[in-house]
Amino acid sequence: MKNIIVCMKQVIDPESPISLFHIDSVTNRAIPPKSTPPVMSPFDENALEAALKIKDTEEAKVTVISMGRKLARAVVRLNLAAGADELILLEDDSFDDFNTYFTANVIAQAIKEIGIYDLILCGIQAADTNAGQVGTGIANFLGIPCITIARKIELSGDKAIVERALPDGFEVAEVQAPVVITTSYEIGKLRRPGAEGFMTAGKKPMTVWNSQQLGITTGTIGQVSIRQVYQPTHENRCEMIDGVSPEEKAIKLAIKLKEAKAI
Amino acid sequence: MSPVAENYFGISGYAIFWILFVVAIVLFLQRAYLLVRFLKLGQPENRFDHLGYRITNMLIVTISQWCNLRTVKKNDLAGIGHSFMFWGFCLFLLSYFIFIGFGGGLGFDRLITNTTFEKVYSSILDIAALLILISLLWAAIRRYILKSPRLRGHTGAEAGIILSLVGSLMLLHILIEGFYLAGTDSASVWPPVGAALAKTLNGIPQNTALTVYKGLWWVHYLVILGFLVFIPRSKHLHILASSINVGLKSLTPKGVLTAIDINNKDNLGISKIQDFSWKDLLDGYACTVCGRCNVTCPAQLSGKPLSPRDLILNLKGYLFEIGPSLIKNNATALLSETATASANHGKTLIGNVVSEEAIWACTTCRACQEVCPSSNEQMNKIIGMRRHLQMVAMTETAEDPLKNLWTRGNPWRGTLYSRTDWAEGLDIKIVGEDSNIDTLFWVGCTGALEDRSLKVVQALAKLMKQAGMNFGILGEEETCCGDPSRRLGAEHQFQMLAGNNIQILQSYNIKKIVTACPHCFNTLKNEYPQLGGHFEVIHHSQLLAELFKDHKLNIPQRRDCKVTYHESCYLGRYNNIFDPPRQVLSSIPGLNLVEMEKNRKDGFCCGGGGGRILLEEKIGQRISEMRLGQALETKAEIVATACPFCLQMFEDAAKAKEVEESLKIKDIAELIAEATDVSGDPKC
Amino acid sequence: MTNNKSVLVYCEIMNGKLASISTELLGTGQRLAAELGQELSAVIIGYEIEGLAQEAIAYGAQKVYVVNNPLFKDYMTESYLKVMEKIIQQLTPGILLFGQTSVGRDLAPWLAFRLNTGVSMDCMALTIEPSSKRVLMTKPVYGGNAQAVQVCENDPQIATIRPKAMVPLTKDASRTGEIINIEEDSELISTKIKILDRRIETTVGVKLEDARVVICGGRGIGGAEGFKQLADLSNVLKGAVGASRPPCDNKWISDSQQIGITGKIISPDLYLAIGLSGSSQHLSGCASAKTIGAINKDPEANIFKVADYGIVADWNTVLPAFTAKITELVGQ
Repeated sequence: MKNIIVCMKQVIDPESPISLFHIDSVTNRAIPPKSTPPVMSPFDENALEAALKIKDTEEAKVTVISMGRKLARAVVRLNLAAGADELILLEDDSFDDFNTYFTANVIAQAIKEIGIYDLILCGIQAADTNAGQVGTGIANFLGIPCITIARKIELSGDKAIVERALPDGFEVAEVQAPVVITTSYEIGKLRRPGAEGFMTAGKKPMTVWNSQQLGITTGTIGQVSIRQVYQPTHENRCEMIDGVSPEEKAIKLAIKLKEAKAI
Repeated sequence: MSPVAENYFGISGYAIFWILFVVAIVLFLQRAYLLVRFLKLGQPENRFDHLGYRITNMLIVTISQWCNLRTVKKNDLAGIGHSFMFWGFCLFLLSYFIFIGFGGGLGFDRLITNTTFEKVYSSILDIAALLILISLLWAAIRRYILKSPRLRGHTGAEAGIILSLVGSLMLLHILIEGFYLAGTDSASVWPPVGAALAKTLNGIPQNTALTVYKGLWWVHYLVILGFLVFIPRSKHLHILASSINVGLKSLTPKGVLTAIDINNKDNLGISKIQDFSWKDLLDGYACTVCGRCNVTCPAQLSGKPLSPRDLILNLKGYLFEIGPSLIKNNATALLSETATASANHGKTLIGNVVSEEAIWACTTCRACQEVCPSSNEQMNKIIGMRRHLQMVAMTETAEDPLKNLWTRGNPWRGTLYSRTDWAEGLDIKIVGEDSNIDTLFWVGCTGALEDRSLKVVQALAKLMKQAGMNFGILGEEETCCGDPSRRLGAEHQFQMLAGNNIQILQSYNIKKIVTACPHCFNTLKNEYPQLGGHFEVIHHSQLLAELFKDHKLNIPQRRDCKVTYHESCYLGRYNNIFDPPRQVLSSIPGLNLVEMEKNRKDGFCCGGGGGRILLEEKIGQRISEMRLGQALETKAEIVATACPFCLQMFEDAAKAKEVEESLKIKDIAELIAEATDVSGDPKC
Repeated sequence: MTNNKSVLVYCEIMNGKLASISTELLGTGQRLAAELGQELSAVIIGYEIEGLAQEAIAYGAQKVYVVNNPLFKDYMTESYLKVMEKIIQQLTPGILLFGQTSVGRDLAPWLAFRLNTGVSMDCMALTIEPSSKRVLMTKPVYGGNAQAVQVCENDPQIATIRPKAMVPLTKDASRTGEIINIEEDSELISTKIKILDRRIETTVGVKLEDARVVICGGRGIGGAEGFKQLADLSNVLKGAVGASRPPCDNKWISDSQQIGITGKIISPDLYLAIGLSGSSQHLSGCASAKTIGAINKDPEANIFKVADYGIVADWNTVLPAFTAKITELVGQ
């Protein structure tokens, strides 16, 4: 049986109405909007779908790990409803969601606790930090290889055959398990819960570990400090381009877009 | 002188009579038994509650032929013809027992012949026979010459046989009487038609006439027995099944879909014939192939592959095809879908017998069930198959909205609004902050999150404030009522959403709810009780009507405009709420309300129900555009709606037909709000 | 403190020449190096790459490390990582720059973790913090709704730069520099990863989900012909073409390009709405675009309520001149 670990991050809903998006200048983080519950980061959902696709064809156990300060149980349980077998929550006040190095370290520690793993899957980047490093970091701390930007994963014995997206095509890599693979949206949208998944979700195991239980004592090691997170001011006003002729307006618009670095 | 009492070539007439009878009965029962065995392949279902009411209703509706007469229209009077045929049939059936059975076969002929009873009864039968013959002629003309729309598209051969059999029975009956009288007492004036015929047969020697009479009598008897054998082998089965079906119809409120135990893996929707209940299968027997459902179905009329009639008939055909091998294999419900299909050369229920496009094309408008004389229930079957597709087969249909409902609690992915944006500046109580309210205003997902519909809930809120109502909203705590989930087949999602909502409503001790959406209205009122949520729910049309009646709202000056009201299926057909919206509109002085031809119970769907507002309509004509075309025919300036789905569908249709300038689409709340604003334009 | 440090830039190769991202990196690297009084170095790894070192110098590099070896013809994580580690050990750069490319997204994080330092990905601006003399890296977060300004506390400070965000220096063939050829041992670490296949796919343009620029047409386009013009514009901008519902219904364009509630939800950097009124179902699909431009002949069109720039005119009269000007500006 294959053991697949999927790392999923809970984030502020990226599809929450733009009018509700505000940065708290003190914490340098977005304020969770009251009306929209958090969701799992979209690329991480693709990772779970990749794991479930493997489970569709062969015996596999899919464990979802999620790390954060406060994880909404209803949200993380949806992963069990979609088909994951077990949920491990890493929850602690010190788990800052913008600290990539620390995150990779903690998750690697948790994976070491779990012990057995053939595949570790996560999304290419999280919807809030857009950092794209945790997968590599986990591989580094576990001393295993990492394949990024995967769009198709197949298992062949104890090897993984991974199709990796390149700008002008793709490459197929064969790698010995265990390996970390980061997944892109081409791998497929996460399936929604069927009736069976939904009904069994409540009975599947969910464990919660904090930093003490994981043995993280070195405080929040981080390599990168955030000086500021700001929202570029966006005037809600449309600048109407004028001109004597449509051609003139066209040229003016092109220039304006270039100046605004939009092209 | 009963022909049965004679001997034929040395054989007793009684022997012949009874042997033929037994053969016919055996053939009849054998088939009937098989039909019952087929039904038993289906799931159990309890339709025997309120037995007294059911039987009474069945008898009244059948005997009065209300089942047919209620759908009689100017351009479809066939129900009247059928009623004559039915009443005639009842009289004749009784006569067969009395004259042929009791009098003939049992030999009590002497007790009947020449009695006043016989005189009167046979005269009545004569008239009945004539009326039946006229009705048969009318039916044949309708079917074969006029080619009536609802009879098109299905084999007329069976119908032809039935018409011929009944016709021949009537003709034989008259001929028998004529020849009998010609052979005996040609001076008799009763029965009238027979006597008239006898007069014309004056020239024939009496003996010959009697011989012909006896011959015809036996032919007539054979035809009756033949008919008996034919009935369970044809659509004429409906004479047994339809009436029973009427008695077995659902007694729950119309808008309620059955709840299922989603913990039961074997009960998650319908994917094979055995998943239907026996009652579902009985619908096939009860179908008279009248086609009324087909000519009222908006999906069928707009070119979708869904035909309510074919749904029922194809299921029946499939049952007959596959039934024998299922019975042979001692099939139980646990036989898998693939095994069932392979028992029938790979023909699957979903895919071959009913296409997936047909299943998703249904708008759940209930027009088909409204007009069916046999009280067939097409919707349960469609929803049953949708449940399988959504909960087990995990179809791609409606993926995004349903996923959005799981993660965000509403089906409107990408909405630019929060649940309370619409209420900004309106000073509306949020129940979480101040639970001291009389009525909860259940806003609905569409009202709060969909651009155009925001104006409606804003208008309604303003009116409720104007009327001094003490109401509040759940605000951020409100999530989808679950209607789209249930209609699309995601029953597990529905039960989750509904369960959560009921908990929240009960935690705030909510008793009275008003909503601006007929779908929320139907679900909260009729379906939440299934899960333990009992609330008093009214629709905003009812509320506004009440407010006007109590003079809490009034419109001071005239607004001249021509308005046509579009019936929301979930308000009208589902919940019989036809008058309140009209009363509301009539409260605007100067408003000229014109009706579309298809209104009230015959209202034509906007195409947005059954979760279809969340799906793309790619096949055939747009249902909404068809309905808008009907509205345009009234020459109205405004189409008034009472449903956010209808509103959206028509706004889109108006743009597509490029009539946005000449035809405005407004909710009744908007019209009232605009009218109460004295600073506004006196023209709507 | 940082005086004996240098700025090292990883140069990528495209079709036998330096990829444009490499020249952009050199441009920004040179600016940082000059401000800090440091040297600008480049590293080029590949096979049959003679002449590229000179090109890098022409674009501003003072030192170029070259690994020219058949074993390094195509990018492979482990071997390239080993080379980079070796160079960095030798050079001890203070700043290390990559492009936000499939190589950069793979290599930069590995180096960051291996070297116990941090990396900021997809940066759009780099400046020097006056107080600490460390690099302030500005990168988009929250899907681009906000910008984060980050500083790496350890050396080397690693950043990947978004293509087209920086400006290269003007090529000057007269510049001189040092070329250092690194002889890599032919003995490669037995890699756990084996590349079985590598293929170029004939892409039909950029995918809508990935496109940074989307040109979207509405009912006003009038037919499939009109969409060809939009495709021309999108090709110049290396973007994708989308549509609201009416064009898809009318079969002027494929359903898979529909943007909106029942289609795709995207958040490109630039969204141009042509002949499109902007119904709310459609706007739900593109509202989080960073910059929205609209061309519509109806001044009351809904799209102008959310656009940043608008032209009220028949798009037919505007688009040709617009496309021409854009082509000119992009080529510069």
